[in-house]
Amino acid sequence: MGVTRRNFVKFAIGGVAGLHLTPLPYKLMDDIAIWTQNWPWVPVPPEGEFLSVKSVCGLCPGGCGIQVRKVDERAVKIEGRTDYPVNPGGICPSGMGGLQLLYDRDLRHTGPMKRVGPRGSGDFMEITWDEAIKTVAERIASLRKNAKTEALVSVDGNSKGSTLSLMIERLTKAAGSPNYVRMPSLEDTYEMGNLLMMGNNGPMAYDLENSDYVLSFGSGLLEGWGGPGRIMNAWAVLREKASKGGATVVQIESRASNTASKSDKWIAARPGTDAALALGIAHVIIRDNLYDQQFVSNYTSGFEKFKTMVLGQYSPEKIVDITGVGKEAIKAMADGFARAKAPVAIYGKGKGTLNGSLFEFMSVQALNALKGNINKPGGIIISDPLPLATLPAISPDGVAERGILTPRFDQAGTNKYPFAVSLINNLIDVINHSDKSPVDTLLVFSANPAFTLPDSGEVNRALKKIPFIVSFSPFRDETSFMADLVLPDHSYLEKTDDIVRPNGLQYQLYGLTRPVVKPVYNTRSAGDTIINIAKAVDTKTASSFPWKDYESVLKIRAKGLFDSGGGLVRYKGAEPAWKWKTASDGPDYKSFGDMWKKIKTDGLWYRKLMPSAIDSGIFKTASNRFEFFISQLELAVKDYPTAAPGGNRLKELGITVEGDAAFMPHYEGNHHHDEQLPLTMAPYEMVNLASGWAPSPPFAYKTIFDDQLLGSDSFAIINPGTASEFRIKQGDYIIIQSKACAVKARASLSHGAMPGVVYMPLGFGHTAYDEFIREKGVNPNLLIPPGKDPLSGHPVWWTTPVKIMKG
Amino acid sequence: MKKEHDQGKYKYGMVIDLDKCTGCGTCMVACAAENNVSVRPDESDKQRSISWMQVYKADNGKEFPEAETVYFPRPCMHCEQDGRGGHAPSCVSVCVATATTLDKNTGIVSQIYTRCIGCRYCQAACPYKARYFNWWDAYFPVDKGLERYLSPEVSPRMRGVIEKCSFCHHRLMRARTKAYADGRRKIKENEYITACAEACPAQAITFGDLNNPKHKVAQLIKSKNAFRILERLNTKPKVYYLSSRDWVRKIADNPVDEFSPISG
Amino acid sequence: MDSKLLPEGVERCSFGMFILWMLPWLAILAWGGLAAVLCLVKGLNQTNMSNVFAFALWIVFDLGVIALGAGAFFSGFLTYVVGKKELKNIINAAVIIGFICYSGATAMLGIDIGQPIRGWFIFWHANIHSMLVEVSFCITCYLGVLIVEFVPIILENRKLDQIKELHIFGHNLHHIMGVIAASGTFLSFFHQGSLGGMFGVMYGRPFAARDGFYIWPWTFFLFVLSAIASGPCFTIICTKLTELLTRKKLVPDNAIQLLAKVSGWLLSLYMVLKIADTLVWIYDIAPRAGFKFMDFYREGPYGVWMVAAELFVCGIIPAIMLMTPKIRENQGMLVTACLLNCTGIILNRFVFIIVTLAIPVMPFDRFLSYLPTWQEWAIGFAVIAYGFIVFSLSYRYLPVFPKERELNPIAG
Repeated sequence: MGVTRRNFVKFAIGGVAGLHLTPLPYKLMDDIAIWTQNWPWVPVPPEGEFLSVKSVCGLCPGGCGIQVRKVDERAVKIEGRTDYPVNPGGICPSGMGGLQLLYDRDLRHTGPMKRVGPRGSGDFMEITWDEAIKTVAERIASLRKNAKTEALVSVDGNSKGSTLSLMIERLTKAAGSPNYVRMPSLEDTYEMGNLLMMGNNGPMAYDLENSDYVLSFGSGLLEGWGGPGRIMNAWAVLREKASKGGATVVQIESRASNTASKSDKWIAARPGTDAALALGIAHVIIRDNLYDQQFVSNYTSGFEKFKTMVLGQYSPEKIVDITGVGKEAIKAMADGFARAKAPVAIYGKGKGTLNGSLFEFMSVQALNALKGNINKPGGIIISDPLPLATLPAISPDGVAERGILTPRFDQAGTNKYPFAVSLINNLIDVINHSDKSPVDTLLVFSANPAFTLPDSGEVNRALKKIPFIVSFSPFRDETSFMADLVLPDHSYLEKTDDIVRPNGLQYQLYGLTRPVVKPVYNTRSAGDTIINIAKAVDTKTASSFPWKDYESVLKIRAKGLFDSGGGLVRYKGAEPAWKWKTASDGPDYKSFGDMWKKIKTDGLWYRKLMPSAIDSGIFKTASNRFEFFISQLELAVKDYPTAAPGGNRLKELGITVEGDAAFMPHYEGNHHHDEQLPLTMAPYEMVNLASGWAPSPPFAYKTIFDDQLLGSDSFAIINPGTASEFRIKQGDYIIIQSKACAVKARASLSHGAMPGVVYMPLGFGHTAYDEFIREKGVNPNLLIPPGKDPLSGHPVWWTTPVKIMKG
Repeated sequence: MKKEHDQGKYKYGMVIDLDKCTGCGTCMVACAAENNVSVRPDESDKQRSISWMQVYKADNGKEFPEAETVYFPRPCMHCEQDGRGGHAPSCVSVCVATATTLDKNTGIVSQIYTRCIGCRYCQAACPYKARYFNWWDAYFPVDKGLERYLSPEVSPRMRGVIEKCSFCHHRLMRARTKAYADGRRKIKENEYITACAEACPAQAITFGDLNNPKHKVAQLIKSKNAFRILERLNTKPKVYYLSSRDWVRKIADNPVDEFSPISG
Repeated sequence: MDSKLLPEGVERCSFGMFILWMLPWLAILAWGGLAAVLCLVKGLNQTNMSNVFAFALWIVFDLGVIALGAGAFFSGFLTYVVGKKELKNIINAAVIIGFICYSGATAMLGIDIGQPIRGWFIFWHANIHSMLVEVSFCITCYLGVLIVEFVPIILENRKLDQIKELHIFGHNLHHIMGVIAASGTFLSFFHQGSLGGMFGVMYGRPFAARDGFYIWPWTFFLFVLSAIASGPCFTIICTKLTELLTRKKLVPDNAIQLLAKVSGWLLSLYMVLKIADTLVWIYDIAPRAGFKFMDFYREGPYGVWMVAAELFVCGIIPAIMLMTPKIRENQGMLVTACLLNCTGIILNRFVFIIVTLAIPVMPFDRFLSYLPTWQEWAIGFAVIAYGFIVFSLSYRYLPVFPKERELNPIAG
């Protein structure tokens, strides 16, 4: 058979038909289907070996245990650890999204940078580490040569007592400056109050998990307070107990926050009146003889004076007028608190990171003392700081000795602010009120004062006046944009660093972060950079830093834990760490070497709670008792000279009441009243929006509702009644004006808002970082004038008189 | 492998305790991080942003100071039925390209991104708004470095397709592989849990096999406080909620008749 | 200039005039083309559709034109299957309108899906349970049928008809028109129905959900009925518009009147069933899902007035008008009735698509609204422009109206 045309056609047709019987066309179709999936710009994550690395979260002082899932060298997911005592498995939204803060190039300084654009522009040029360190060292050396060392100022946002913090203070002192300034925080308020009333300056600790009645004065337990990983777990514990009728949470707050909504009872007291309410409750407790008489008579002093004041001046009738809280509610709280087995009154608004009012805190502490729930399960715990080893003293030379003795720019510790350690707002004032900035070189560590301090406008004005700013921030934050030089720190996932006793934790815990991944960018651990700088300044400064690297410093300090004896370095999770023990545990390590090795892999050392007998020795006040009447304050007023001859010492300290009350927890009254500014602006914090130094991971913006942020506008929450007075409707643009500034936001009407109060979220309004975070909403810090809390001198955040109008 | 998992043997489900839920949003972040959901520069465009787990906010409608808020975390409900007795949820029965199916073996409603043509019929059919369309290409700009945290266990999606909560199906695979390697036929209760349940700092989310009476979820759904959202639609969701507050249980469904409180 | 292409014995405007008439439509088509390119290249983020409004303007357009295009199959059915010979005078116009509607809708759907290059997965990975698969299969097949119906009309062009092979081919096609019309009727019945079924089976959406017969919810039958009740009216409107623009009478009144009468009766039957369906929905389906009728209209611009508008103003009233010979014989009234009828059907589709999606099902969710972007409008208008262009070309170059010569004898 030849190949004729007919045959060929037959063959072709047959072939095509036959082909359809084979899987080929179907396979090809499927291949085409698969081909449509290969879009070159859709990333394909590379496969690899899975492994899990344990560490501790360093985004906030909460210090949750984390484990990072890795694929080869890439970290792909952060999860909570169940073998870490703080947070059995859960973490907060920011911690969950931490990998974005690690990898996002536009959020981070990718290497040492020199500013090339104007301040604030964020235009930098990468330089070498050698050049960067040399520049800083020469700057310090020149101050030392000219005996101007006090012009070196460092601002530190690290937790108090952390090794990095000590290193920063050490560098400042060794170079010869007294001006080591800490970012203001609630810790200051706690410390000052506890020092005055109990003579103890250990960390504040509330034993929430074991409590059965939590009276919270505005504490945003669910807004990120005191380490969200721990507190939210404590919340679950309390809820579990509550479902069996065993626990009550009462939230005193003017806004229906998450905590208020989720607590058993929400008490809406006017902003700024918490002290009055606490003392009103104290009035009922004392009047009805509900207080712990044995504790009060054995371990407190000044009770009679306190009783007289409270019974005389804080009657429920009066408190109703001041706070807006009903008499029955006050009675109910007094009854509930005093009759509970293990009640606790807690203090610290919002996330518990911004300062509160000192007298307010002391009023709340007075309630705890009335109930005698100190060092008892479910109460407040007085404990010593972690037994970390101290570093050898620095050996200042003549230049440094002169410098250290010059007065601090912020006047902390002077007659005017006798109990303050550090007052950054005074520093800002001093700079802004001088023709030439007294600060020559500013070193900024783990802090973003340009964004987080009140009256941001003034802060930025001061920063602009400072000739030379060095930022050590790993993030492209607002303050680093003002810096002339950036020596970026590693992120918390790239370095070894200690987490010294997470905020508010009742038992002793030491956490250690570890490098989960190799440094992603050309950054260097700030501890190492400090050692490098000190060594480059001159031999004298270098002599205070005899260490090879930062990790050896950490190890030296951790030796103190070993020397204190006991403690555990492994947590099994079977028994919560907050359960009180009768006998001491551990140690579960053989030697210091063994302990350090275990800490480096598991990241923790902790010691369970042990009941210690309450005796007079626990209070280190002059009277060796808990002082309702604060002798040290009386001393500070009576024994120190007034600033101006014939002046009023109390007024100088900012105290407006007279007589005995001035030396006791009292309500200062509302001095903010201003006809022109009839409303109050109260900033609020959210657990899913970072408002401190570290930015929110972009993921967190998924969790923000569109009545909180929409496009580039954030919302101010207003009660519908108040809004209608100004003819403001949901979503309208409004102008909010305070003494400091006027800002634009949109209105969100909510019955959760107290009439007459405007609530604005902290954490929006960034001008730095990248497209995920920049230009979203407005920063309420702009509105807040840098007020001064009576006695403490710290900034006052929580009540700012404002007016609003349609914008 | 297949033989070891009998047909219809497992019915994975979730119980979310709204008394414990604090509305913190960790579940949403955990979900997005686990499942390679990209973040767009403007996430406030809620109608077009993607969040497989979405926290809804609701209030009791009362005035200050009686106003109360509750949060409803809403994953895909993995409904068992379409509401008229059909043995697949609406989204599955309407899908033109068989890109989404109900696995009778596990009860999980899957989504095949590479088969979806993006007609969005399933979105229209879902009363829970649990399905999300990729209006844009996933946001991973070149050189930004964000693609480095992507997990190889979940394939990133392309523009123009629907995606939704998978009950972290890859975690089930992970658990099965582990069990298989250990020579076990069954996976243990806590070996397979979703990323949101694992992450919740208030332990509000419990995950497990609703068919297994020993599992905590199976016990929790017997509580008098247990309910499902839009129960009347009869779609038999496998996500349950717990709340001791009457008003919360009440606003979870559209009641025409009087609501009968169980407490107080 | 193009006189050789024009049908014999009829009057057409000058070529220049024709181009002038076409220009604005071409401009709109180009505008739509630009929008389409944007949507295909950049993605559907160019629209204001969202996860809430998964279906939006385009789907309203699609369902609207497909319903109105029903004139084609139904006229074909009446002409070839039932044997109403007088309709032969309008069937060409009906077919062309049908073709425009279906091809336009298919093109829009191609842009509307997120992954157009995977569009064929509907056939490759077909899910037989999906109403949309039924729609897709039937529409695709029916578009083929419409092409087959359109081709002989094209072949009647003076120039093409001169080619012998084409003439024979066209002639043969004419012979099998009965079979074609019957299959078109079958296909149309199912896709018009499944378009309704698409919404009726959204059991999770109490606003759209309906019970039904076997696998078909009642909306299946209501959509078929409403389409055949309004399609002929749309054919009438298009014819009347052509007559207005050309200032000629093109179709004998008996054809128009027959279509109008049939429409009227079908519309009244539809209204009876639709009202019954609405009552069942109000008193049974909605309460079963926990909704009271008024719950659906609590918020937003879509009030109960829509129900009144759809059922009374655009339903019962045109039905009565079309059924009453005296009214429908008045040209103005006839056109008004047809317009109301078509508006009613568009409103019905709008309600099933947009209002269904706007109403939240979860009680704590909120009502949302949607406004299309220019890209969406552009593509919608482009389909209208495309319709004008195809119909204008057909009218100019093809013997669309067989009686045109007879009704408009050229003087001298």
